[in-house]
Amino acid sequence: MNNNTLILLAIFIPLLGSLILPLLGCISCRMRNLAALIMVLTSLVCATLMMPSVLAGEHSKITLIFPLGFNFVLVADMLSIFMAIVSSLTGAIIVFYSFDYISHYENQNEYYLMVVMFLGSMMGIIFSANLILLYVFWELTALTSWRLIGFFREKNHVLKADKSFLVTVFGAVVMLVGFVMIYQQTGSFDYDVIKEKLTATNPLSSIAVIFILFGILSKSATLPLHTWLPDAGVAPSPVTALLHAAVLVKIGVYVYARLFISTFTVDEVWHTIIPFIAAVSALVSAGAALIETDMKRIIAYSTVSQIAFIFLGLAVGGELAITGGLLYILMHGLAKGGLFLCAGIVEQNTKVKDITKLGGLIHTMPVTAISFLLCAFSVMGIPPFGGFFSKYMVITGAVGSGQLFIAFTFIFGAFLTLIYLFRLFTMIFMGEVKTPSKGENSPIMLTSVAMLAVLSLISGLYINYIAGPVQNTAQQMLGMIK
Amino acid sequence: MIEKLMFALIAIPAIAGVLALVVPSRIRGAREFIAMLATILNLFIIIALFGKTHSFSYPWVGFGLEFSMRLYHFSSFIILASAGFSFLICMYSTTFMMNKNHVGQFYAYLLLSVAMVNGAVLADNLVVLLFFWEGLLLTLFGMIIIGHKGAYKTAVKAFIIAGVTDLCLMLGIGLVFYITKGNLTISKLNIPLDTALASTAFILIMIGAISKAGSMPFHSWIPDAAVDAPLPFMAFLPAALEKLLGIYLLARISLDMFQLTAFSWVSTLMMVIGSLTILFAVMMALVQKDYKKLLSYHAISQVGYMILGIGTAVPAGIVGGLFHMINHAMYKSCLFLTGGSVEKQTGTTDLARLGGIGKYMPVTFTCFIIAAAAISGVPPLNGFFSKELVYDGALERHWIFYAAALLGSFLTAASFLKLGHAAYLGKESPAVRNVKEAPMPMLIPMIVIAGGCVLFGLYNPLPLNNLIQPILGDKLEGHNYTGWPHSVFLVVMTLVALAAAYANHLFGVRKAGKAIGASDHIHHAPGLSEIYDAAEKGLLDPYNIGLKIAGFIASLAWRIDRGVDWLYDTLTVESAYDLTDIIKEQHTGKYSTYIIWSLVGLLVIILYFSISLI
Repeated sequence: MNNNTLILLAIFIPLLGSLILPLLGCISCRMRNLAALIMVLTSLVCATLMMPSVLAGEHSKITLIFPLGFNFVLVADMLSIFMAIVSSLTGAIIVFYSFDYISHYENQNEYYLMVVMFLGSMMGIIFSANLILLYVFWELTALTSWRLIGFFREKNHVLKADKSFLVTVFGAVVMLVGFVMIYQQTGSFDYDVIKEKLTATNPLSSIAVIFILFGILSKSATLPLHTWLPDAGVAPSPVTALLHAAVLVKIGVYVYARLFISTFTVDEVWHTIIPFIAAVSALVSAGAALIETDMKRIIAYSTVSQIAFIFLGLAVGGELAITGGLLYILMHGLAKGGLFLCAGIVEQNTKVKDITKLGGLIHTMPVTAISFLLCAFSVMGIPPFGGFFSKYMVITGAVGSGQLFIAFTFIFGAFLTLIYLFRLFTMIFMGEVKTPSKGENSPIMLTSVAMLAVLSLISGLYINYIAGPVQNTAQQMLGMIK
Repeated sequence: MIEKLMFALIAIPAIAGVLALVVPSRIRGAREFIAMLATILNLFIIIALFGKTHSFSYPWVGFGLEFSMRLYHFSSFIILASAGFSFLICMYSTTFMMNKNHVGQFYAYLLLSVAMVNGAVLADNLVVLLFFWEGLLLTLFGMIIIGHKGAYKTAVKAFIIAGVTDLCLMLGIGLVFYITKGNLTISKLNIPLDTALASTAFILIMIGAISKAGSMPFHSWIPDAAVDAPLPFMAFLPAALEKLLGIYLLARISLDMFQLTAFSWVSTLMMVIGSLTILFAVMMALVQKDYKKLLSYHAISQVGYMILGIGTAVPAGIVGGLFHMINHAMYKSCLFLTGGSVEKQTGTTDLARLGGIGKYMPVTFTCFIIAAAAISGVPPLNGFFSKELVYDGALERHWIFYAAALLGSFLTAASFLKLGHAAYLGKESPAVRNVKEAPMPMLIPMIVIAGGCVLFGLYNPLPLNNLIQPILGDKLEGHNYTGWPHSVFLVVMTLVALAAAYANHLFGVRKAGKAIGASDHIHHAPGLSEIYDAAEKGLLDPYNIGLKIAGFIASLAWRIDRGVDWLYDTLTVESAYDLTDIIKEQHTGKYSTYIIWSLVGLLVIILYFSISLI
């Protein structure tokens, strides 16, 4: 199979395949679940198969020309392959976890339809190389996440779902205006053409930058557009894991990397402004995580704070910082997914989300507790977990760009990370038992969280196999190699 | 071959550690056997490697981040010392930890710590060093948390303090990367301390180093751990391995990574930190009423001498600081081990419940006397010689530092007189009547280490010529510090301080009527007692203060966050309702109003177009 076929399969198997899942569900639940997992794994396999040739420098591109710049262009380069692997890997583990988790609730057919379509549209965003095509997939993720966040259909939940939908769609519409401005400046929506037309002497207009950033920050939940993300914690746990680790907030980060680093030429001043926004976001959300008492909201604030680290790495520029930022996407995806899935197990067993009412669960739920702790270590950046390397690279990259003050701020953010994650861990798992749990009785869910914890560890121990391709990706993004 | 053995130094303890974790507890003695075997192998390998020099480098992550290691006299000295301690403490633990909970985890963390320490000391790349260094956080956390059910609080405290300072170390390494434009190889670094940036980098790395060594203000987890963690842990990490590692890094940055001179302000800063640590910690040690807790404050106080010595940046002080490092590791781990055998045999370490056990446990008592005399600086034991060298260096810089160090010695001696008197001599308490001497596997490590204290004192050319002085190389400037101290003044002053401590002890005992109250006259002295009360409530604990600051910032952040959320949940929603209300009111159903609105609208459009046409 050549790469062009693989790209199409990676996107359209989950995207279109999701539509038959409800039909399968009418026949057999087991078949539907399996089909969902296979569809997500297809993306993973396709992306992995493309990797050797793309690493060797081969760029695959599918182009269909339509009028008014609405071209259908898909591209596979290292950045898209990397992101596709991260998303579909965490996505697949989360879907596997759902087999058990979601089996206790209504509307399972809709759940699988939405989740697989969600991941499919993520693949669409990753591989598309035209702004309008990107926008279409972008809104598709907004729609599916809206249904998923309000999945339990309680009035309050639906309101929260509406909030996240409105904020992200509002951001997307503003971004669309920015896209139109790019069209006016360059005459095209295609990345290739835009990249050629924008030069250091003719950078993208600042208004367009602001508009597009607005969309990106709203999707990746960065201050001041972040509060919908903690509110989205009302969703079923695998969905929150999906939002935080695999798909939704990562869209913002990915599109930033794709547009602002590989495609656009923007004014130098943005390399200072964006790290500044990220620094404020990192501190405010880390502080909020220390006060909050709902465990899923705490992890959500932690995501907002960690996303800021990714933005820092990507925004200060330079090969080291960008490699760090990309590695951070991977490490954060694995570890944060694990944290949410552990929280899901706790929530399902105790029916409690308030950490002041929890405690001492390590005795009845040891596997969950240990997995949680290992994932937390990775988020904190403790060696030999993968998070250590990404954190080191981002910080050193920020120092290397000369932005010492920003680097100090982020170190302070990392202090707070240590504190709030330990607060979370000790209040749920240590001390006196306040709410009894029935113990761990789901092998599927435990396997998923243990898998994520072990992957976090392995990604650190075998960093030399991961860092090479990621560094390659960064070099490709910066145009240092083809 | 050397390279393979260097890898084995990391791999053998690491693999054995994982094995100790997975071996089922059904097989009796299996975990102890694995741990003993691994520590013996570790010791043999480093003995075989001792005196050899080798370095290698493999590509790892890129960006100057290579997996490079270097074996030379300093690194092999530290590894040799740590291998010796881990072997002895492992032997001690085979008896001490018997029938306790989480034995497998204990050995696993112990062995993994050995692997991490070996890796950090061998590392010739700053990030490799950081990798192993921060990895110790995990074993530290693990070893404390297995203490008892409530020990997790101390474990978290230790982790957060060490984690925060490790982040400082990471930032410092980032600064080095920036200053040297990508050079992270330790042996190739020699950064002048003439810019603010370089000084910042030095201080950040120093914070990491002295925090690992347990200096103030990063110390407060150690006394808590003394109560909560299994005792061999105290003898192993805070007393021995962490000190070796922290002072190793401090010496590396002071001697060769940066160009530290006696005239730089960072050198003075280090001396101030050292002096304050000596004084504050020993003041706390003096009033403790628990064997282990008293020792733990001394573990903090003694670091002050090392930092002070190295901070002087003069040869005598540096040699003294490094000599004190190895001496301290010896007598302090020996003291903790005596504490452990007292705990094991009597079931308590509370001084109020001890007393008169010296005659039942003569070997333990003898080892205690030797180690306590060594830490107090009684000639001719090892602690005496290293302290004299530190005094010498401190006096060369300024008499105030010397005065602080001497006062520290006085208080150290006083507190050990109290400890020895209250625990081993004096009236026999009914609780400890007819206790037995500790079993052999616990006695041997104590005897060996106590013997080392005598050896390193009487034959001090042995450690100084073979281990310490080669580290300085050219920086020695031709001096040789072996043998008896050259300054009579210093020796006389030391003897005066020791005599004063003895007099003070007699005075205190007479005043209080019992040995345990020997320090009460200082504890309840006007002015001091308020400070002691505040310290006992934890008000002066830098960790609590730090958490309060973090909590304050967090509550600010929380308000900002809620403010932003108000914009969405309240302002947007309310203003949308208000706006629609206004529009709703216009829908009166009267055609005339609608027609007027339409005409106004049309007028606006016409106006707009006519203006734009003009």
